[in-house]
Parts: sequence; structure tokens; C-alpha cells
Amino acid sequence: MLNLTPVPIKIVDCYDDGENTRHYQFAIQETEQHLSPWLKAESGQFFMLCLPGVGEAPFTFTTLPNAQGNFRALVRRMGSVTDALFQCGVGDIIGARGPFGRGWPMERLLNQRILIVGGGCGIAPLASVINQLIDSQQFIQLEVVYAARNQAALMLNPERARWQHLIPIFNVVEDMAGLSDGEFYPGTATGILPKVLHTFGEQPDTVLLAGPEAMQTAAAEYLVAYGIDPKSIFLSIERRMHCAVGLCGHCYLNEKYVCSHGPTFSWAELLQYDIAC
Amino acid sequence: MHKTYLLDSLDELQRHLAQSHEIYQVVPQSDDARADYHWQQVGSGNWPDLVEQKPLQSPKSFFFAEQEPLYVFDGETFEEVLPTPTPFVLFGVKSCDLMAIHYQDIFFEDDPYYQARRKQGLLVGVDCVTPCEQGFCQLVNAGPSVRDDTADLVLHPLDGQRWMLVVLSAAGKQALHGLALEDASPEDLHQRWENISHCEQSFPRYQYILEGIGKLNQHAISDEFWQQLGIQCLGCSGCTTLCPTCSCFATRPIESASSQQTSVTQVRFWDSCLYESFQREASFHNPASEAGQRVKRFWYHKFSDDFVPEFGRYGCVGCGRCEATCPGVIGVHSVMKRIADDA
Repeated sequence: MLNLTPVPIKIVDCYDDGENTRHYQFAIQETEQHLSPWLKAESGQFFMLCLPGVGEAPFTFTTLPNAQGNFRALVRRMGSVTDALFQCGVGDIIGARGPFGRGWPMERLLNQRILIVGGGCGIAPLASVINQLIDSQQFIQLEVVYAARNQAALMLNPERARWQHLIPIFNVVEDMAGLSDGEFYPGTATGILPKVLHTFGEQPDTVLLAGPEAMQTAAAEYLVAYGIDPKSIFLSIERRMHCAVGLCGHCYLNEKYVCSHGPTFSWAELLQYDIAC
Repeated sequence: MHKTYLLDSLDELQRHLAQSHEIYQVVPQSDDARADYHWQQVGSGNWPDLVEQKPLQSPKSFFFAEQEPLYVFDGETFEEVLPTPTPFVLFGVKSCDLMAIHYQDIFFEDDPYYQARRKQGLLVGVDCVTPCEQGFCQLVNAGPSVRDDTADLVLHPLDGQRWMLVVLSAAGKQALHGLALEDASPEDLHQRWENISHCEQSFPRYQYILEGIGKLNQHAISDEFWQQLGIQCLGCSGCTTLCPTCSCFATRPIESASSQQTSVTQVRFWDSCLYESFQREASFHNPASEAGQRVKRFWYHKFSDDFVPEFGRYGCVGCGRCEATCPGVIGVHSVMKRIADDA
């Protein structure tokens, strides 16, 4: 049977990281038995954050839960749940349910040439997979494109600074005000793809995309035109996850529910769907 | 071969089942001839007859509650709140509504709230022997006879005020334990199928429904057509509320304060995919911002082949309630006629 009841989590730490965005660390306040599903969480999966008296909303893991039940998530202040979270302090108890959904296809990433493209908050579901790959060194080639609107909108700044020393990263910003040309490229995620693919050398074996849906679909179309198999391109689709277990109906995508069949879909799967149905 | 019995009257069965169950049945809301019919608890010596009329609402709320608590937060911990209903009988459920329960059984297979109610419910179905207004169960394999895997017991009206009782499940057999019943004869069985066959032949043809389903699955309906229909959708949720297979829900917190502490109960309640805000995200990005998209989604969910592998059938059981309730005249008959004629 499904369990729709949250577990208590404590807010351990948080810091501002981008416009209206904070990087939180949470600690699951539960016994080993309740912890076990969390320890199986995969990169690209998500959890429901529960603010008692306010509501629930989905977020992805930037760091997966460790044996002590600590995990991290990037949260942008956007609606009532995140408003309430931002008013909480370190030490406060709130709730979480999860992990849910289908994560990134990790088995397809080992010892491969991988291109990762994240836009805005879309870097959040990619952070743990980038860290995992860098830490394990189980890749042939790994390059990351990160796109943001402007300087204020840049997110996961400490993480990207660390990655910068270890793998090629293309930071792309539409509005370059305040940013230097050497470190950042002017433009958009899709706009820089020709340059990235040119420097990549051989074609990437697998591409991971996350961010605004229009950015993801435009990038996927470009990559297919470039010759990459739609089955090798993976997107993280956002919908209004509500129950997170494939029942409430809110996140429908044709006959699928994004919460349980996704949020990771291959472009080949999405091409079969009417993405607005 | 199912065990079949004869009943001279229903009282005997109702009385017997009432020894161990609450009994719910469809009754008129008042003595007015135009009154609506509703599911209601009955009993204690006053056993109503089964009525032919289709109740305004299907019995879906017995299992998928219109509103129910999921969990309570006391400030430190979250406690699941599961329903604990006493055993009950839905007495005289029509085949279309039974098929809808069967559909929901599949959908809510792993839902602990639904299943806590479902396992307490015994389903006594009743065959329809005359078509109901706007019903087309025979077109979507949901009636007029009760399908074998959708009920525990089935009643069938025979000549001369007698009833045939068909046992379909182990739970149905168990519920009859201790009741001495006369076996039905082969002639009675024959009469049941005669009656059902006659009923099936009495339905209007409704060819446009089949044509509509065909066009919908050939993706032959333009977005402009759906937008035209969308203009007529008032977003009232009448169709999704009355549709016996609709299952969308939302949740919200309700705070309750006592002198000692404040607790929060998270409740879930029926929602509707036809509401403008149904898919709207916190950022106000809305993949289904137009009424036409939402109307298209509703009918896609009811008649698309894409759902058949999961449920073994379409999401529509042919009850016609959407047509009866829609103030915008875009219930199933109106929509399918327009698809057949214009789309």
C-alpha cells in the first residue's frame, strides 16, 4: 500500500543561492525503518515538502539522503509553500514524503560521453548526478551547460565553482550586466549548443536536460537535428505534482502521470505524447 | 457456473444481510414523483423495493470519499488517519456503476484509504431490464447485465415478482451463509438472458458515440474544435463529480486548535481536471490554461485507447450522467454528436 503520510524533517541549514532561492539542508527525524526508502533515492527523483497548515510542493534532491538522513534541496520562493518555508528557521520541524518518480538513467551514464544542460532552477535535479559522476570519475567525457537570465538568477554558485575546476562548464547568461566575458558566455542554452558540440569532439552518448520546458524541447530538437538519437536525450519535466504517487491526476501527460512515470522522460517517449494533453 | 437461487421477495435477503452489515440502497428523496434518487442507509423493518431509476450520484463516494482526512500533524509527528467503516452492503447497484467501481478498484489498488473502505463493502448488483434515459452501457461493455467480476451478488427481476440471485464471489457466498434458498431452474436462467437480450435490443443505436470514439482515437479532432466546445464549459465540475470513474483529487490542510495545542489535518477532496487551476503551477505556468485543452483532456481520459492496457476498457461506463448534468450542453451525447457530425 502507498503511504501518503509525511515524515518529520528538521531544517538543519540554509543559505541564499540566487534570486529568491535558498539551498537547504534537511535531516529526516525518523527511525531506521522509516529512513530506508529515503536511502534508495536516486538522482533526478523528487520529494514532497510538507509545510503543515500550508500545503505540499515537489522539490528535487541536490544531495541525496545520506545514512543519517541528511539531504539537500534548492528551493525558489514561488508560492505559498515556499513562502512559509522561507519564514521557518533552522531547527524547525516540517514534513517530507518521498522519494518519488523515475530518476536519471544512471546505468546509461557509466563510462560514457555525457552532455548535461541545465537552465535556471533546472540545474537542481542535475546537481547530484554531476557530483556523483565527478566523484566516481566513471565517465569518458562530461561537460555541463548552465544557462541563466542574468547575474542575480545564477544558482548553485558554490557547486558550479567546484565543478569549474574539474570539468568543462559553459555558463551562459542572457543579460551579461556585471559579468565578465571570460567566465560567462552571452546567450542561451540552445544558442550555445553548436559551440559546445563542436568542442565536445565525438558526439555525446547521452544528454541530460532540465530547466524551462521550452528550453528543453528546443535543445532536444536541436540535438536530434545534430544527429543524436532521441532515445539518448533525457528531459526532466515539471508538472504540478500533488499526491506524487500517480493518483490525484494533476500532473497528467497523456495517459501518464509525470510524478510516477517521470519526471525523467526520454525525448523519444515525449515525442509520442501530445505534451499539452 | 455460478450458483443461482430464487427469491420470492427481497426482504428476506435484506434482513439476512442486515444482521452483519449496514445496508445502503437507492431511494427517492421525497414522495414527489419528480424527486431525485439517492443512496441512503435503510433498514430496521422498513425494507424499500429496488427502484428502476438511476441515482443522481453513483456510489463512488462510498469508497473514494468526497472528503477525508489523510494525516494529522500535532506539531512534532505526522499520524496517518485511515477510515474504519463497519461492514456495509450496497444493495442494488446497477451494472454501469459496478463497472465503475471495478475500474476504480484497479486505479486505487494501492491506495490505503480507498481499500480500507472497499474491503468492508459487499456489492449486490442488479441487472437492468430496460434502458435508462441517456444510458449506453451496452456500447461500452458495462451493462445492462452485471458483469461477472464486478459484484459479489446479482439480483435479476423475474416474472411474478420473483428475483433470481446469482452468486459471483466468495464474499457473496459467505454473506448468504445461514440463509436457506431455493435453487433457480434452467428456465429461470434462460429468462434472465432473454430479459437481458431484450433490454440490449431496446437501446437506441447511438451510432454517433461509436463514430466519436473512432475519430477521437484517430486524432482526427482539431484543437479549434475543442476550443469551440471549451467555450461551453463553465468549469462547474458537474460532469467530474457525477462521473463514476472520475478520481482526481486535491489536498488541503485544516487547522484545529484546542486549549492544549494546534493540530493540522491534511484532507483530500474531489477535484476536477476542468478547473482552470487544475494543472496551474506555483509559477502560474499552466500546461492546460485553455478550456478547450481541458475539455479535450476529459474526453481523452474517457475514451482513449491509451488507457485500455491499464484498465482493460474505456473510462466511460455509459451512464449518461454527464449529459444530464452539464449546464453547457457538452455531456457525452452532445459532444459525440458534434464530433461525429462536425469534427
